[in-house]
Amino acid sequence: MVRPMSQWLKGLLAGAVVATLVTLVATGTWLGSSRAAALPIARMADGRPNLNGIWAASNTANWDIQTHQARQGPVIALGAAFSVPAGMGVVEGNEIPYKPGATAQRDANGRTWMTNDPEVKCYLPGVPRATYMPYPFQIVQSTEPNDILISYEFASASRVIHMSTSQESPTDTWMGWSNGRWEGDALVVDVKNFVDQTWFDRAGNYHSDALHVVERYTPLTTDVIQYEATIEDPNVFTRPWKMSMPLYRRAERNAQLLEYKCVEFAEELMYGHLSKKP
Amino acid sequence: MATHLRRRASLTVTAAAAIVMAAMPSAQQRPTTPRDAARWTAPRTPWGDPDLQGIYTNKDENNTPFERPAELAGKRIADFGEKEMAALRKERQEAAARQASSIGGTADNDTGAGPPHWYEHFDAENAQPWLVIEPEDGRVPPLTAAARERAAARQAARSGRGPADSYTDRSIYDRCISRGVPDTMRPIIYGASYDITQAPGYVVIRYEMVHEARVIPLDGRRKLSPVIRQYMGDSRGWWEGDTLVVETTNVHDNMNYRGATSGLKVTERFTPLGPDRIDWQARMEDPTTWERPWAIRMPLKRDDTQAIFEFACHEGNRGLENILRAARAEDARKN
Repeated sequence: MVRPMSQWLKGLLAGAVVATLVTLVATGTWLGSSRAAALPIARMADGRPNLNGIWAASNTANWDIQTHQARQGPVIALGAAFSVPAGMGVVEGNEIPYKPGATAQRDANGRTWMTNDPEVKCYLPGVPRATYMPYPFQIVQSTEPNDILISYEFASASRVIHMSTSQESPTDTWMGWSNGRWEGDALVVDVKNFVDQTWFDRAGNYHSDALHVVERYTPLTTDVIQYEATIEDPNVFTRPWKMSMPLYRRAERNAQLLEYKCVEFAEELMYGHLSKKP
Repeated sequence: MATHLRRRASLTVTAAAAIVMAAMPSAQQRPTTPRDAARWTAPRTPWGDPDLQGIYTNKDENNTPFERPAELAGKRIADFGEKEMAALRKERQEAAARQASSIGGTADNDTGAGPPHWYEHFDAENAQPWLVIEPEDGRVPPLTAAARERAAARQAARSGRGPADSYTDRSIYDRCISRGVPDTMRPIIYGASYDITQAPGYVVIRYEMVHEARVIPLDGRRKLSPVIRQYMGDSRGWWEGDTLVVETTNVHDNMNYRGATSGLKVTERFTPLGPDRIDWQARMEDPTTWERPWAIRMPLKRDDTQAIFEFACHEGNRGLENILRAARAEDARKN
């Protein structure tokens, strides 16, 4: 009984594979330009991809953007509830090209993570970290020539992506200054004018105020965006390098950004020592 | 904000409005009341919603007393025509100018509060004599007995505490947490800009102060569970003609807006009166706090030069840290 069934299944599978190949070749998708062109994506009235929605990464990059093994968390009392899950990493090639000597700062940051990571203090997380923190964000996209807004759950952070005119930032900022444009179906965002006080992850990967990020949001389907961030910072890195990861739509019918005004969760840590002693 | 194209669109609209208004008997008057709004139809987004997108400011309503001041007792808002308002404006601007030097201080006496040019309230062109439009006497209705009891209990809990024994003795605003609804729309000294962005099913209002991006769903979804209370509350919006109506509930217990509980309901109405002006009203209801509902009103003026910049409030909150340090130094001096 087992053998015939197995052969029958094999035949069925082979048939399905052939049929799929025929379909893909016939529709031009197999040999066509890209997977993005093959699948339907939502569009706005102006023909641009419709990126509206609540999105989130689903990875462990906020712990460490590079490949990492699972390990004991920093709070012994929290045991398995707050230890570090392993991760494949989101850095292409897994190498961050630090300049000679620049890894010492990263290592020191990693060792002192609990006291020095800006996330612990509820500081605005910067870009691209805001994208892959374990909190959702909402893209608010009107039609051209209006700007695009991204609102993040963490720390009520938000940023405007200037779409109609490329504008210069009047000053350095935590979330950077974003100018966007469309390249085909990809939203490409040029982000600069950062302060040097945000990090890429809890492992202490860092940058200077010369950070320049180019993001690409490429819709793959109505519910998946391929996200890339090219990182350039001549003060810290020898060459540009890239992170990439999918972003997934939060598909709950009642999905909604909720408040995570974390200032009040960091106050005892930051100001407790300045309270009057009883 | 799409400035060049918007200006062009807005010029076209302005020209059309001018023609319409010229045909009316009161051609000189700007539309200033919701009734006048019937004369104006807002442009539409491609998905059919009234398009209110742009940057607005109400910095001109700085210095306006919240309630009707004692010296104007017996008056009603309707009693203040252009002449009366001009006199009030002059008086208020002069008062603000007199205080200017005490804000930033002088070269040899720096108050640490920044130079006077940071501040937006010196030349405020107030539209109204006061903000409370309901009830007609311009006064917030009296607190209920329950609200007075709560206030007394809060007072008792604080008794014996100094102004800065802990960060919890400072206001939610001092702590860079939020200004809440509706206070985040009340102009103070600087940052009185509001940026409206729309997408199908949503209106988002960004506020510069503290930094808020308030996402308002328009799709008729249910309110959040009462278990979830938020500093900015939970907002649901809908359109009544060209008016955006936003109802906010689920207010955080720490917010304590003028003694209100988390049962506070704020209903805002954003009525476009022309291409450059929105009439904003907010009506507050909380039967356990006030004997009856009451409302405030302010005009929002379109001004694309008042772009919102990032306000990293908590990140640079040296003020809170220094207040606490100074209080501990004072404790040490007394002991």
